Amino acid sequence: MSILPSAHLLRNPEDRRSFIEKCAKVSFGLSVLPFFTRIAEAAEAPGAVTAPNAGLPGFGKAKRVIFLQLNGGMSHIDTFDPKTGASKGPGSIVSAKGDMQLTSYLPQTAKISDKITVIRSMTAKVGVHASAAYLMRTGFEQRGTLQHPTIGAWAQHFLGASHKTLPSSVTVNRSSNHGNGWFPAAYSPLPILNPADGLLDTKSPVGEATVAKRTGLLAELDSSFGGKATDESVKSYNEFYESTFQLMKSTDLKAFDLAAESAETKARYGKSKFGQGCLLARRLVENGVRFVEVAIGGWDMHAGLDDRLTDVGGDFDRVYATLIQDLESKGLLDTTLVVVASEFGRKPSFEGGGRGHHPLVFSTVLAGGGVKRGFVFGASDEKGYAPKENGVSPGSLHATIAHAAGLPVQTDIITPAGRPMQVGNKAAPQTGVFA
Amino acid sequence: MRLIALFACLFLGLSAQGAVKKEGKKDAKKAEPVIKVVTPPAAPVAALGERAAIWHEWTDKEGQKLEARFCGLAGEYITLQSRDGRTFHFKLEMLSAEDADFAKNCVERNRTNSFSPAIIASAAADIDRLVGVVLTANKQSLNAPATDEQFLRRIYLDAAGRVPTAKEASAFLSSNAPDKRAKLIDELVFSPSYTMQMFNWMADLLRVKDTFAKGVPAFTFEDWLKARLAADTPWDKLVSEMITADGRLCDNGATGFMLFDAEMPLDGVSNLMTTFLGTNMACAQCHDHPLAEWKQRDFYQMAAFFGATDGKDEAIGSAIKKAVRADATVPKAAALKIEQMNTFRMEDTDKQKLTFPKDYKYKDAKAGDPVTPSLIAWSKGDKSLPIYNVNTKTPSQLRDEFARWLTSPQNPRFATNIANRIWKKAFGLGVIEPVNDIDDLTEASSPELMAHLTFVMKAAKFDLREVQRVIYNSKTYQASASATPDLGKAKYLFNGPLVRRLSAEQVWDSLIVTAVGTYADNVLLRRGDDLKAMALPAGKVTLAEVKNAVERTKKAFSGGGKAAGGKKAAGGSALGLANGYDGDKPISRFSMMLARASELPQPSSETHFLRLWGQGDRLLADSATNDGSVPQVLQMMNGSVGKLVADVRSAAVMDAMKAKTPDGEVTSLYLSYLSRKPTNKELIAASKSLKDGLALTDLAWVLANTREFLFVQ
Repeated sequence: MSILPSAHLLRNPEDRRSFIEKCAKVSFGLSVLPFFTRIAEAAEAPGAVTAPNAGLPGFGKAKRVIFLQLNGGMSHIDTFDPKTGASKGPGSIVSAKGDMQLTSYLPQTAKISDKITVIRSMTAKVGVHASAAYLMRTGFEQRGTLQHPTIGAWAQHFLGASHKTLPSSVTVNRSSNHGNGWFPAAYSPLPILNPADGLLDTKSPVGEATVAKRTGLLAELDSSFGGKATDESVKSYNEFYESTFQLMKSTDLKAFDLAAESAETKARYGKSKFGQGCLLARRLVENGVRFVEVAIGGWDMHAGLDDRLTDVGGDFDRVYATLIQDLESKGLLDTTLVVVASEFGRKPSFEGGGRGHHPLVFSTVLAGGGVKRGFVFGASDEKGYAPKENGVSPGSLHATIAHAAGLPVQTDIITPAGRPMQVGNKAAPQTGVFA
Repeated sequence: MRLIALFACLFLGLSAQGAVKKEGKKDAKKAEPVIKVVTPPAAPVAALGERAAIWHEWTDKEGQKLEARFCGLAGEYITLQSRDGRTFHFKLEMLSAEDADFAKNCVERNRTNSFSPAIIASAAADIDRLVGVVLTANKQSLNAPATDEQFLRRIYLDAAGRVPTAKEASAFLSSNAPDKRAKLIDELVFSPSYTMQMFNWMADLLRVKDTFAKGVPAFTFEDWLKARLAADTPWDKLVSEMITADGRLCDNGATGFMLFDAEMPLDGVSNLMTTFLGTNMACAQCHDHPLAEWKQRDFYQMAAFFGATDGKDEAIGSAIKKAVRADATVPKAAALKIEQMNTFRMEDTDKQKLTFPKDYKYKDAKAGDPVTPSLIAWSKGDKSLPIYNVNTKTPSQLRDEFARWLTSPQNPRFATNIANRIWKKAFGLGVIEPVNDIDDLTEASSPELMAHLTFVMKAAKFDLREVQRVIYNSKTYQASASATPDLGKAKYLFNGPLVRRLSAEQVWDSLIVTAVGTYADNVLLRRGDDLKAMALPAGKVTLAEVKNAVERTKKAFSGGGKAAGGKKAAGGSALGLANGYDGDKPISRFSMMLARASELPQPSSETHFLRLWGQGDRLLADSATNDGSVPQVLQMMNGSVGKLVADVRSAAVMDAMKAKTPDGEVTSLYLSYLSRKPTNKELIAASKSLKDGLALTDLAWVLANTREFLFVQ
């Protein structure tokens, strides 16, 4: 059943503090921190929740998730679902490892395709960029009055914080865009807009004594407005300030620093924002961040598809293959689920040097975290126009990721507005993709 | 009495009829219905008269002459605009004494073209009455009136886009004039800060971006928009000018709006429908709308109004490429920019080329057939309105016909859309939400209020300044703020404005004014001038002409030449921000250009303070957010902005140092950051810490980091 009511019970700061203190002592052997939000999250972890999907294959294998979102809409026909005949694009068809066919735009991916599962039967109705990106990112269609959370926030709700000082979710190359949904603002992913910079401004330019005096005075002077806040958005800023104070004291900040990587590793990932973003994602999950999104634009190929797939697609191909190999060599691939999601596919008809938006069928790629290696799930029809078998909705994709991450799917939680909601919007996970 | 009730019923009946029935709305749980009440209609608002621009030949003290129209006078600064749309902003003292007097006279003449105080009062009272009726019927009431301190901060942020300085704050707070609120409203909406603030708001709505497509610079569009705002252009004219703009981007900045989507014309149409009509047809681009009545055919018929329009002159593009290929000495980057600036242009052809898509699957049209342009309607009566009588026979006129229908007061949604958006700007929430889907007018929290605001918008002849004057003078706006409501549970009925985090631009501009004072209000950077140097003479694509353009451009960018009329921004080019400025010379500290957000790159770079605080990427309309994050806090505490706040050169700190007593110092900083005086408790705590080793710069840092600074109440 729902977990949120327990959080509601903890709304009263006194109750919350004493509850947390108890939990903290019992479960972590820690004394309570001055900023207890994160521990509070851990304390909310269900433990007793029985996931109806717990006995199914693949449950809980993925301890962490890297979610790559290719903005603009990747053409399935020109990448992971090549077609012959009238739909064929400018690339040629290549037989890749793991008994699957890819296009010639993905030569590096072809070398590691024995480690991935391609879902060729994704299907949706939304063909507008922002709404489709939203749907793929959350598993829900966009609504005017409600913001849906990303998997990272769902996971934090069910499993608690993934680390005591580092954030549980991070977005790279994109802002957080309400990734917490209806969950507390503290579940909002931490945005890193430029991976090469990492997390900026973590050190105060003034001495420790002054910092202490300043923050002491700040707490005192802010007590009348911030301290008494009834407004949710004011409260959320209180939480961000608390998290920031805590993070600044942490030695785990090095997780954000790409400079600590070897020159050889940096060279393999390359200098592009996507390359740097994926390297940062690997560092972060390695250090205890549970959910990292990396966004990369440039996939809206209405025209000049051949050039742009060579350029944008070529970069993706190199970086993606590097990420999978790197995770494998570090022994992390089996416990890290890497998802390649886009917005929608592109039309079978090749017009004006490119293709239009096409949500009816498209491809998504999974790797690691207990999914099958060298496997194709589902299929599109001969033209690449509609799903032929095993249609997978974005909601079902999210249920699948949630299942791999060990979250209860098809289980109601109640939002603060009193609505019942389920991760993956009531869809069932595709257990057929798991080994 | 009876007559009034009859009117009201009639009125309600009409508005219900005017709505599109949405079938099978998927959202499971609907917000609880608002109790409907019968409300007498609002008093009519006399429409504004036609305004004539005041043209004049201005003479400065050195005897130089300039023919220009009067745009505004605020403080020591005057704004003029010449016939080519160039804006001039300078100190009034530079004009001859005679013309300085003439300018003061112009202010009076312009005011007489505005709503009179009596009309403002009556239209504002109707807002209060309409809100009050709905509140009472739902057993709620208006929040208590906002204090002078709350009102002061709110009106500065809403109308001027920044907090007041300590001096401005104490001037208002210490005044005993009974009409001081109305006076302050007028002072602010006629100040240059108003234009900057409106630009920020519109930039998010109109997707104002420095570059579109593959790096095509669109500074001329920004300069055009600023100039039109400064010249008080009403919304309907502004929109019409953008939709019907012809010519090259380098010559006519107004083309920038349509050219943004030149390579994706269908997306462009769906974007402009959302922006100007609050109609979400994006779904119908690919298939019949699942929730509303829009069919894919409706979308294509609307898009066909742009089917004869061409945004890119491919022939010129290849001619330039060809010419340049013959000479290896032409720098490639410069040649590419010149190519872009000359190929992107708006032109109407003799043929409407849009056809139904190859995969069209409905019976109401055939795939591949040409589309006949046709306008959408929201209710049965709409099509009999005179503006629906458009000429669709002449392809080259289609765009103009569309603009005429779009921007007419008769259009069933154009005035309501902008009225609802302006209301949201003041209150934090639209009367109809979401603001980008107002097909169903009965979804409004009060359809009568929506109707009244629409009426005021039309009476104001789409002058957004006038409409905002009305709203700001209402008791509803001047009530204290409500906490963020849960719209999933019930509609918000406007007990007052909402508590809101300041927008990214408001936080930035407030920090700028605390750093350099009102000086920043008069730093106008502009960046489009040099782009004009790239224009090739019409019909002449020769290697020699391209080389000439490269030379002109080089000169303009290297700073060797003075950009036409403007002054070179020292340090500006080093930061890559500007190639000219009007008014005062910009200052930079800690590698930041200390200019208002409207004068900085649009949008700012991804790691700039503005973006981190939620300035949108401008790829879609309404892309700004006010989400919090840890990096924001880090930047405010430790980053260059934190350093800027705690810097001894800070205007707020220097103002505080002028105070004669320690209490005076603390009070001055409180006024600078929070627009209020400290409480006794706060005064004691702050004074104690100042004795205990903290400096005024530290206190500035503390106040900037309070939640109170980030929020408007």
